[in-house]
Amino acid sequence: MEMFQVVLALFWLIAGIVSFYFSIGNARVWTSIAVGFFLILLGEIIPGALPFLPGLGNPYVLAMGHIIGTLSILIMSHGFQEYYVFTRTLEFEGSKLHVYLGVVSVIGASLLFLLINPTPDAEVLRVLRIVENTNWVFLSLINIDLIRKIYLNIKDTPISNGFACFMVVFACIFLWKGSQLYIDVFSLDTKQDLINYTISHYTNLTGNLLASISVGGTFLYLGKLLR
Amino acid sequence: MILLPRGNPVKENINPGKVNLADALGKMRQGKFTGYMRFDFPEGTGVFIYQEGRLISGLYETEREHLIAYDAIDRTFHEALTGTGNLNIYRLSTELAYSIHTLLHGEMLHKGQDLQLIDIKSLLVRMREEKRSGCLRIYSKEHIALIFYRGGNPLGFFHDGSTDIETTADSSLSVAKEPGAKVDVLVTIGDSEKSLADLMQTADVAGLWSNAVAARRLQREEQEHAASKTLETREADRRQKTLALFQQLAQAHLGKIGTSLVEKEFDKMKLNGSQINDSVLDGFYRNLSKSARLVAGPSKIDKMLEEMKRGFNGLPK
Repeated sequence: MEMFQVVLALFWLIAGIVSFYFSIGNARVWTSIAVGFFLILLGEIIPGALPFLPGLGNPYVLAMGHIIGTLSILIMSHGFQEYYVFTRTLEFEGSKLHVYLGVVSVIGASLLFLLINPTPDAEVLRVLRIVENTNWVFLSLINIDLIRKIYLNIKDTPISNGFACFMVVFACIFLWKGSQLYIDVFSLDTKQDLINYTISHYTNLTGNLLASISVGGTFLYLGKLLR
Repeated sequence: MILLPRGNPVKENINPGKVNLADALGKMRQGKFTGYMRFDFPEGTGVFIYQEGRLISGLYETEREHLIAYDAIDRTFHEALTGTGNLNIYRLSTELAYSIHTLLHGEMLHKGQDLQLIDIKSLLVRMREEKRSGCLRIYSKEHIALIFYRGGNPLGFFHDGSTDIETTADSSLSVAKEPGAKVDVLVTIGDSEKSLADLMQTADVAGLWSNAVAARRLQREEQEHAASKTLETREADRRQKTLALFQQLAQAHLGKIGTSLVEKEFDKMKLNGSQINDSVLDGFYRNLSKSARLVAGPSKIDKMLEEMKRGFNGLPK
């Protein structure tokens, strides 16, 4: 299992690097989306997938992992909304620097919020994880619908197939985060003998793997389309 | 075409469009001028005859029209202001000025008769027998000569460069000998020399001139307006063609959204009827490139812009 986590981490590392690089080299509209995907690497994989990393047991690191994970889906959803508005109005504003600074500020503010409050215990971390996964699950569904609309608006452009790939990405993320939410809501991790847990667990791992591969692949494909 | 021999030239080849003719006519009057002003226009010819400062005759003639007096002055003023005419002023003797007047207002008995075909002797005999007053106008491509008659008797000759009626027929006869020479026979009815009115006394020449100037100004304004309308229409047409071309290319490279992007960036140029050119389009290309980067890569966008520039340069100016 540890080997699988390492492979996952590797895929997410590749996906994170590709998406971050993509955010730098392309139009402003991609910044929020690409930074959002990059944050998955920071928020989810670094603290969660690598048991060898120092500080894993630190509740602040874990709490920040969940918070950054939540910010990740919020930021990328915001990016897709911006893109959708652009396809409808052809209007777009803002700068990349503002996006980067905004993201760093929100992460900083979240850390400050954690530090001025009592040290997060297991229950707090569980609640944060549920909040994070809930956001991921429902925003993934919303994003699939939003991306479908974007796709219809730009279906004859060079970039349109890239959006079709994003729908696949969010389908994988839905499986990944949805199965985790299911486990948390029904506390299935305390009832591991149930088939529900087994299915959810493997769905979670498969979804996670497919999401990491599809995210990296999608950004590489987008990079090719936007050459 | 009014055929008159040139008298003693006072001024030649003046553009009457650059002269205040009301003032000029006034100066002729003050200077007790005797002679005629000849205005040649593409459409016709105007002649003003002065006798000792009195404007005794005005004539304006085209192929279809024969205007006299005030109508002739008015029309000449209007034509002069188009700037396409040529004004020549010739001095004559008092008697000759009158003769020219009677010649211009006389009745044409024969017109353009070829001298080789006409029996000139019998014509002269008939003039004498019928006691005709008038003029034989003999002309070739180069020269004109007039032979004046009064009461059937020859009065004298007038040819290019004369200021008075001459008694020698040399020049006149030499014109008759030139190849293709023709003759007009004009006769005058009665002798109205004493009753000739000064048109400048009875006509408001300054008023006619002011009206002509105002009409010309209005005409010019209308022409300018029409020209600017034409230019506007042509520019609008060019803008439309440019927009259609750009939309077509954007559709090919960026799809449907490309058409909308072009339309939007085109609107942003706020041309408002002004001319569309490369420098105006630079901003358009820049903005379109920026917005197109949301749906396509730089290489595709550059190719599209390149085609747009080529296509625009290929549009008719």
